[in-house]
Amino acid sequence: QTGLRWVCPQSPLFLCITSGEIVVNEVNFVRKCIGAEKSHDDLWGKLICTNFKVSFVTHEALAQPRFQVSNRLLGEHDIPLACVDQVVTVNDAKGKKKVLGSNQKLKFNPSELILYCKDFRIVRFSFDEAGPEGAKKVCLAIAHYSRPADPQLLFGFELIGTRYLGSSEDGLNGARPAGGSQTPLFACSSDWDREIKRTGAAEWRVCSVNQGYGVSPSLPEFFVVPASLADQDLRQYAEAFSGQRLPVWCWNHPNGSALTRMAAITDPLQQKRLDQRICNAIIKSHPQRGDVHKADLDKNLPSIQQVNNSLVRLRHICVIDPFEETEEKWLSSVENSQWLDYVRTFLKHSCDVVYILEGLNASVILQEEEGRDLSCVVSSLVQIMVDPHFRSLSGFQSLVQKEWVMAGHRFLDRCNHLKKSDKEESPLFLLFLDCVWQLMNQYPSAFEFTETYLALLSDSMWVPVFSTFLFNGPKHHDFLEDKKITLGEGEELCLPPVWDWSQQLSITDQALFNNPIYVGKAAPYAHNGAVKSFRRTKVSWSSTLRGTPPALARNGLQGSQGTLPRRNSLAAQLKSDLFPVRDVPESPSERFARDWFSGPADPQGLLLPQLLPSHLALWRLYFLRWVPEAVIPRGGPVTAVHAVSQLAHEIETLQSQLRRYKGPTPGSTPRASPAGGPPGTPHAEPSRMFFKAGSLYEPSPPPEFLSSSFPFTPVGNLCRPNLRGTPISKLLNGAKTWLSTETLAGETA
Amino acid sequence: RSDRSAQTKPPSAMSSDSVSTSAELSPDDDVTMTSCWSHLLTAKEVMYICPFRGPLRGTVNVTNYRLFFRCMDQEPVFVLDLPLGVVSRVEKIGGASSRGDVSYGLVCKDMRNLRFAHKQSEDALKKSIFEVLMKYAFPVSNGLPIFAFEYGQVFPENGWKVYDAIAEYKRQGIPNESWRVTKANDHYELCDTYPSSLAVPVNIPDEDIRRVAAFRAKGRIPVLSWIHPESQATVTRCSQPMVGVNGKRSKEDEKYLQAIMDANAQSHKLFIFDARPSVNAAANKMKGGGYESEDAYQNAELVFLDIHNIHVMRESLRKLKEVVYPNIEEPHWLSNLESTHWLEHIKLIMAGALRIADKVESGKTSVVVHCSDGWDRTAQLTSLSMLMLDGFYRTTRGFQVLLEKEWLSFGHRFQLRIGHGDKNHTDADRSPVFVQFIDCVWQMTRQFPAAFEFNENFLVTMLDHLYSGLFGTFLCNSEQQRVKEELPKRSMSLWSFINSQLEDFSNPLYVNYSNHVLFPVVSLRHLELWVGYYVRWNPRMRPQEPVHQRYKELLARRAELQRRVEELQREVTNRSASSSSERAGSPTRSITPVQTFV
Repeated sequence: QTGLRWVCPQSPLFLCITSGEIVVNEVNFVRKCIGAEKSHDDLWGKLICTNFKVSFVTHEALAQPRFQVSNRLLGEHDIPLACVDQVVTVNDAKGKKKVLGSNQKLKFNPSELILYCKDFRIVRFSFDEAGPEGAKKVCLAIAHYSRPADPQLLFGFELIGTRYLGSSEDGLNGARPAGGSQTPLFACSSDWDREIKRTGAAEWRVCSVNQGYGVSPSLPEFFVVPASLADQDLRQYAEAFSGQRLPVWCWNHPNGSALTRMAAITDPLQQKRLDQRICNAIIKSHPQRGDVHKADLDKNLPSIQQVNNSLVRLRHICVIDPFEETEEKWLSSVENSQWLDYVRTFLKHSCDVVYILEGLNASVILQEEEGRDLSCVVSSLVQIMVDPHFRSLSGFQSLVQKEWVMAGHRFLDRCNHLKKSDKEESPLFLLFLDCVWQLMNQYPSAFEFTETYLALLSDSMWVPVFSTFLFNGPKHHDFLEDKKITLGEGEELCLPPVWDWSQQLSITDQALFNNPIYVGKAAPYAHNGAVKSFRRTKVSWSSTLRGTPPALARNGLQGSQGTLPRRNSLAAQLKSDLFPVRDVPESPSERFARDWFSGPADPQGLLLPQLLPSHLALWRLYFLRWVPEAVIPRGGPVTAVHAVSQLAHEIETLQSQLRRYKGPTPGSTPRASPAGGPPGTPHAEPSRMFFKAGSLYEPSPPPEFLSSSFPFTPVGNLCRPNLRGTPISKLLNGAKTWLSTETLAGETA
Repeated sequence: RSDRSAQTKPPSAMSSDSVSTSAELSPDDDVTMTSCWSHLLTAKEVMYICPFRGPLRGTVNVTNYRLFFRCMDQEPVFVLDLPLGVVSRVEKIGGASSRGDVSYGLVCKDMRNLRFAHKQSEDALKKSIFEVLMKYAFPVSNGLPIFAFEYGQVFPENGWKVYDAIAEYKRQGIPNESWRVTKANDHYELCDTYPSSLAVPVNIPDEDIRRVAAFRAKGRIPVLSWIHPESQATVTRCSQPMVGVNGKRSKEDEKYLQAIMDANAQSHKLFIFDARPSVNAAANKMKGGGYESEDAYQNAELVFLDIHNIHVMRESLRKLKEVVYPNIEEPHWLSNLESTHWLEHIKLIMAGALRIADKVESGKTSVVVHCSDGWDRTAQLTSLSMLMLDGFYRTTRGFQVLLEKEWLSFGHRFQLRIGHGDKNHTDADRSPVFVQFIDCVWQMTRQFPAAFEFNENFLVTMLDHLYSGLFGTFLCNSEQQRVKEELPKRSMSLWSFINSQLEDFSNPLYVNYSNHVLFPVVSLRHLELWVGYYVRWNPRMRPQEPVHQRYKELLARRAELQRRVEELQREVTNRSASSSSERAGSPTRSITPVQTFV
């Protein structure tokens, strides 16, 4: 088996150890708090700090129901060190509290340890029965190892070390990760070639001037440029760009317009000339010689610090402040965090770019100082909106690979894995995932994957063993050199990409990714009369208007004089009083959006987000999943997924029955899965649905373990310190949920 | 009488996009007269000042049911369709301007305002539109019949038969050893705002019940709304006790509540939920009302639920309208929404209902619910908690039963709260109590998307016909009035329409988990503005892509596959019958034929 996992028994009684992992310190008789106050639900066990994670191994195998999706690299109670944001020690008796950093001293014996995690969890351990010295040592170790001073200390690199420095374990050397191999990584020129062909970008070519990172350390070795630009020119231009980041091609619109990104030109003398050359080259590469528009992202979008501050505020109201206190001013607090505002701004800006590409048939250059932060968000959102390929699972993964990883997004700094500089930290990737979620929320059948997938992808950022999120750019070799690792001939660095999901999740759990109502390319529209007879049952309440009157669409309100006698000033007169008429003139891109909205949406066509503030929602699954008071027992959107999944599973079953009758004659049977996913292998494929149909054709009610937090659980994952008043179980109607002995494993087996 | 067949199109109240498909107003033929729609007026060259598009010039047609505006300048044709019942107020704006134009506005009950204008030169005509509207939008004030009495549509289903009080009591297992159905109110002599059949504790004789009635506001004694099928814990409703400043007591009332408690062997306690804020409850003593003192009612615990009165709710919805119509202001949307307090009120009502449901389900304790008169907040609380407790009410017909029972038969004063056909738009008795309740139901459907048999369209349609005046369902204030007006004979029930085309109102995701009690999370983190209702007039608002549509496609797909599998199965069986040696290898699983909902 290829995989990082060595010893990870299902029982929580054992420490799960990965190759290269070393136990640093441990203390026994620790209590992991489950509720706010000491309760009989609390768990007793051993708290262990390794060089990879904080582990909690319970003393006895409680018949504790497993509601949380289990990660193969982590035990049920484990937290990767990279996920620990803040280590707080408390001494109740003395009333002392200290936030621990690296290499610090602790003058009191801690009675409690609180870990604030980057994924919004707050985990609390109590040492009232543990040895005071041991407890202190573990706390210090956690504080120290969660703030590695040096990238080499990040666990992922430890892993490389053990692998290449003659680890005793077999099976991994030289073996490239298997599962993720379907996702193009864009590290080789053939992946780019395929993307050029797929998008029909005839006048663009893969260039290899950066092979060996000779031109720019943060660009990939292969990237795509206008065919009219010669390697010679590119080498010459590179020096003028910030970080030598030459303009690179992202994607082509079917109409031939190109989406490109580029860093600022630092040399003021060359600016105009270079700009001109680049633009000309891009115009030349457009089949209709379409114009080029520049989108200045630094000017129009919030900065990475603003985004970070926004998340800090949002996190406060979601998990840190007491629930009831934030309840009263919840809406204005959400507004004050500005998170949704930023989500909207990025979506809006991306829509504007879509308008230029689609509506004006012009190419776009996303311009940003370095071209590796804001442009990652915008360029990927644009592609998701226009190109349905990127709304499939493998397409989406290739998009992240292309526009984030290979484009040199500084994941290492933005995640702040080294806790080096808080100024560099920014949750841009999470913001991007939130934007995708908004689209998904508005067009639930357009995406092959689920919101659970997005949440799990985001959580993977804090498991520092994936090449995807560990580096500041596609060039990894520096680290290897530091580690004094010499690669043999033909050997490559082989940290797996996060796309190799089998590293983290069982095949069964990976079915959580699949959206049962996805309308794929092979959408199963029945050809007999049955489907045709469907009426849209939902009356379109949307407006008193039937479509968009073109006369008005051209100029919004200002153009409306055409329908009014000139002398009539009524409109102006009426504007102010009872009926405040919108007086901000509509922008062309807003008009474009409005025209688009007047027709029905095709899940396999262009998708524009509805940007009314009333239509952007908080991504509850991500932000509120750990909050016990916010859990809807047997409710939440997942119960709808549960219902549809059963139907989709029945269809799968019927299809396989058909295949058995007919034998393996492709073409005679529809190959696409019911949910319209990519045609799979016809034989014995495991169901794509996580929730299976029970007895045929009778949808069963949502099982007890389902809740709005599924597949996550707040149990033991959110213990706000010093919550006064009622024990958490009393605040919860859903308290019953986790007293049940029904296990997920039993349910889905 | 209309000669149209029973199967014709839905009477659409104000689904402006779809309405032109209705027979009486086809796009090619503005107004087709039938005996029930009498055409009143046609006016050309009228300007509709659209808040989204600016002025549009077109033709107005007014019938005794609706106002219909059509603008031919536009492609596609712009249509505005408005049942007159929706109009709350008609007003002239700004008088005649020097330019010679007069405009007037229609303030509507369904969250929109419309404005029309004419040129002065057409003075005579304009005057008549105004007057026609003033007359026919407010038929009650003008001694005219509400349109429902003239609406002649015939439906295959008879909605008036949906609810039968005795049958519903029987479904709940009433009468039983502790509860009986009394005839004391057979002719509404005990309480004229209550239904004729009431469920009361078995050991309280009718004479005592009359004394209890004397002690409860408007004679609204505690009666059974719902009983737990296992624990026998009950939800009972009533009005406030007439305690007054002197703390008057009633032996019979105390005994009566004791009997309610005793009817449930599981608990030796009784919870009295007073929906009001305690201050309001205390203030009611000045007017002779008040609340139960725990001294007088032993073993009873009184809880105030802090829900505000109808005036506060009216004001809150008015503010909400300002925030959502015509446009949503972008920078401060959430804090603007917060300042309307609408969601906060929703939260308090749902929280109250949740506490009631929790006491009954988890605490196995009986509860008494009241506010002042017991027909507004009380109806909200009992019906919402029953919706949480009993899956039957989450079916389409069950929900109709719930409304007929807790709202209509128990005397929620629809006529006064809505002001059907009444021009007095400032009437302090008007309040969106029912809208608020439907909003709470919508919140529940959001949290439990598979638990309700009906869909959002059902809820919106219900609210549209709350105002439209097309159906008799929401007319009058009490059962007694409805009987007197002979509504079932003289008008159509909304349920006749709905139950004749259930397909349009059903939630395909529905899985019957009727045995489960739903406990929604009543936190602002999960409550949201019902944009599909309040923001639907905004042309930028498009309903979210319905999962339902996709689900139905999957259902069709399944049916198709089933058909093919069965065909093949038959083929295989036939073949194996001829050559029995093959039998072992063939799949034998039988497929039960399934009814498709498509």
